[in-house]
Amino acid sequence: MQNYFKTAKNISLVLFLALITLNVSAQEIDLLIKGGHVIDAKNKINGKMDVAVKDGKILRVAADIPASSAKKTINVNGLYVTPGFLDIHGHVFHGTEPDNYLSNSQDALPPDGFTFRAGVTTVADAGGAGWKNIDLFRKNVVDKSKTRVLAFMNIVGGGMRGVETFEQDKTDMDPKLTAASAKKNKDIVIGIKIAHYIGHDWDPTDFAVAAGKIAGIPVMVDFGKALPPLPLEDLLLKHLRPGDILTHAYRYDQEFDKSGKMIEHKQAIVDVNTKKLKPYVWEARKRGVIFDVGHGGGSFNWSQAVPAMEQGFHPDVLSSDLHTGSMNAGFKDMANLASKFLVLGMPLADVVAASTWNPAKVIQRPELGHLSVGSEADIAVFRLREGDFGYIDASGMAIRGKQKLEAELTLRNGRVVWDLNALSAPLAK
Amino acid sequence: MRTYKTNITFSGILTFLLAFSSISLSAQEIDILLKGGHVIDPTNKINAKMDVAISGGKIMKVAANIPATSAKKTVDVSGLFVTPGIIDMHVHVFQGNDLGSYIADGQTAVPADAFTFRAGVTTVVDAGSSGWRNFRRFKEQNIDRSQTRILALLNIAGTGMYGRFEEQDRADFNPEMTAYMINKLFPKIIVGIKSAHYWGDFTQVDRAVEAGKLAKVPVMVDFGEHQPTNSIKSLFLEHLRPGDIFTHTFAYGPKDRETVVDDEGVVKPFIFDAQKKGIKFDVGHGGGAFFWRQAVPAIKQGFKPDVISTDLHSDSMNGGMKDMANVMSKFLNIGLTLEEVIEKSTASPARVINRPDLGNLSVGSEADVAVFSVKKGEFGFTDVRRNTLKGTQKMDAELTLRAGKIVWDLNGVSGPIWDSPQAISK
Repeated sequence: MQNYFKTAKNISLVLFLALITLNVSAQEIDLLIKGGHVIDAKNKINGKMDVAVKDGKILRVAADIPASSAKKTINVNGLYVTPGFLDIHGHVFHGTEPDNYLSNSQDALPPDGFTFRAGVTTVADAGGAGWKNIDLFRKNVVDKSKTRVLAFMNIVGGGMRGVETFEQDKTDMDPKLTAASAKKNKDIVIGIKIAHYIGHDWDPTDFAVAAGKIAGIPVMVDFGKALPPLPLEDLLLKHLRPGDILTHAYRYDQEFDKSGKMIEHKQAIVDVNTKKLKPYVWEARKRGVIFDVGHGGGSFNWSQAVPAMEQGFHPDVLSSDLHTGSMNAGFKDMANLASKFLVLGMPLADVVAASTWNPAKVIQRPELGHLSVGSEADIAVFRLREGDFGYIDASGMAIRGKQKLEAELTLRNGRVVWDLNALSAPLAK
Repeated sequence: MRTYKTNITFSGILTFLLAFSSISLSAQEIDILLKGGHVIDPTNKINAKMDVAISGGKIMKVAANIPATSAKKTVDVSGLFVTPGIIDMHVHVFQGNDLGSYIADGQTAVPADAFTFRAGVTTVVDAGSSGWRNFRRFKEQNIDRSQTRILALLNIAGTGMYGRFEEQDRADFNPEMTAYMINKLFPKIIVGIKSAHYWGDFTQVDRAVEAGKLAKVPVMVDFGEHQPTNSIKSLFLEHLRPGDIFTHTFAYGPKDRETVVDDEGVVKPFIFDAQKKGIKFDVGHGGGAFFWRQAVPAIKQGFKPDVISTDLHSDSMNGGMKDMANVMSKFLNIGLTLEEVIEKSTASPARVINRPDLGNLSVGSEADVAVFSVKKGEFGFTDVRRNTLKGTQKMDAELTLRAGKIVWDLNGVSGPIWDSPQAISK
């Protein structure tokens, strides 16, 4: 009798322990994103899987994780689950300085209003700040945003304060100071930017590359303002290193001089007469130069993108060039830009890779852009809508398409920061 | 005889030439023709298939079957709804980098243009972000630099919405200075007074109404944060004037704000009286002021808001609010007709802020136009506590024009196909 009692006690102890364990495993997952199609380029996943999140990190990505093991489950059947998008060419150094273009000024935008609603969780400012105002950038933007904000630091010490004046000042382009500041701020500075230079010389480009070498980070070039123009071929094959970035890859600028002769500033990657990709562009890609979209308000033309894509020249990285001049025009947001490349025939998995793992590699942030176990749970969930859609380029020309990506759900650090159609919310009583 | 004949021929040619030249004149008259859409313009009682012609940045004509040949540019908007540019009467756009501030020149305010055009909005009314002390900075820094038409309600607190503490300072609720700022300096931009976030009695509201009387403008009241709550019945029937505005109508925070709908889900009877008296009920969705448990029963019981608005700021933009088109869609899904939704987002706010020039497509008015699609499908909408309402309709802003200029084109309906003969070779 006593033994029986003891046994019963033991049994109940075991049961009790089992219950505790069960309880623990029942609470193991904070959030389960269930039933979606996961695309994770780094981990070579492109299939139906569930994603489990705990303590703001990815806990597990696997098929059929039971909902009973999660505190909260979001059903994303029919949707695509990807790492949170990285946009490595934004302009988010917003501020109130008048006449200061994209540096602490109003042409730049606070990131949170544009990122999460498009599936973006990380944005890199492309040269708004230089070494003289990177601290202000950190204080006003990085520390105050929910979006993860990184930066390409401008080779110009004062940053992108104005194309016609400050950005031409070679005495304010100091590779050593820039590199030193980049190293000191390495938690946020992931590259060097050179842009808008109108002189007929390579000094600023070479300064930027020198800074990049010292700091061990890539250089992003917005090329094509030089007068007379400098050859793009030399930039891509002689001045840039493998891993450096040409942005505005599909831009077509044309201007006419007084005699009516066309000046092609930027020197487009596609020959406008033959519609063929210039051979040195292929060569540059082989060398490891990175081609970034940087759509912007004036830097993406169907006349370049369509033939380039037809010839198989896909971008390495999709990015926005977000600022007030692009936000309401052809660019709109990163989901819209991704949709454009779908319409141009880029497979969805490649579009996702070019918006997640590719840019993470380019900016040497291998901890970002994937859903590996233990990584921060920055996640986007997209709906691929089928219908009749249209898209415009920087010159206002349209293309029709049958697909459109929409950001349904965005998680930053495991928290829902965007939920278009209330997938994560309970029904109202 | 001969002469006669010649004369006929001559006058015939002349007539022909005159007719031709008048045709070619009219061919150049219309800058943009929005063709084939369904126009909803409550002010002009239009709810029918019509074309809208724009010339010189103004509405030139709204009529059926305006020929495309008479326009320089025609945009096919068949299957879409064409409305006056939306007025969002409750936003916070005094965006700046004063990190010590809440909304006035602070980061909780947002840049207007980033949220307006993509939702069909062409006019916003900033609801008290600034007071008389900092309005000029707001104007110079934000209003004058935006494409969106920005109007403002001036906060009765001199420093606007700098922070909760400053907003309690009775010594800084100055009706005379507030009215001066409107009457003497900015009568065209400042369209009302705001009272908000006050913890005490009716003092702030009364000062705001005093300023409103001096400046002959309405007062908008955000009547939360009183602990214990103050009576809204008293507010409506004893303190506010007809034409004054009660915002955050469907908020639910019974500890610091008396609700419009009681705990049994019944609209309090005096609410109907107040609306009859002329109190204007504004939505002001925001990050914390819209609950299905208030809105759904209210609409069912026949209490409809006078004005639909967002209370746009950085804490509402990514939550249940999202943008004006989303807030309008919510009301479409809980029983308002599309015409009502448009009326409460155009003609009605224009009346409330005494700006009859806005919110309509009358001939000669500035061509602020929105074009919406109404998608059918399964959608979800959350309130500020993330409770969900499932819906079947959602409005998308397809095209927005501000003063006759296209400022938003979601699906590229205004652009020629890039490799067509009409395309600019670029």
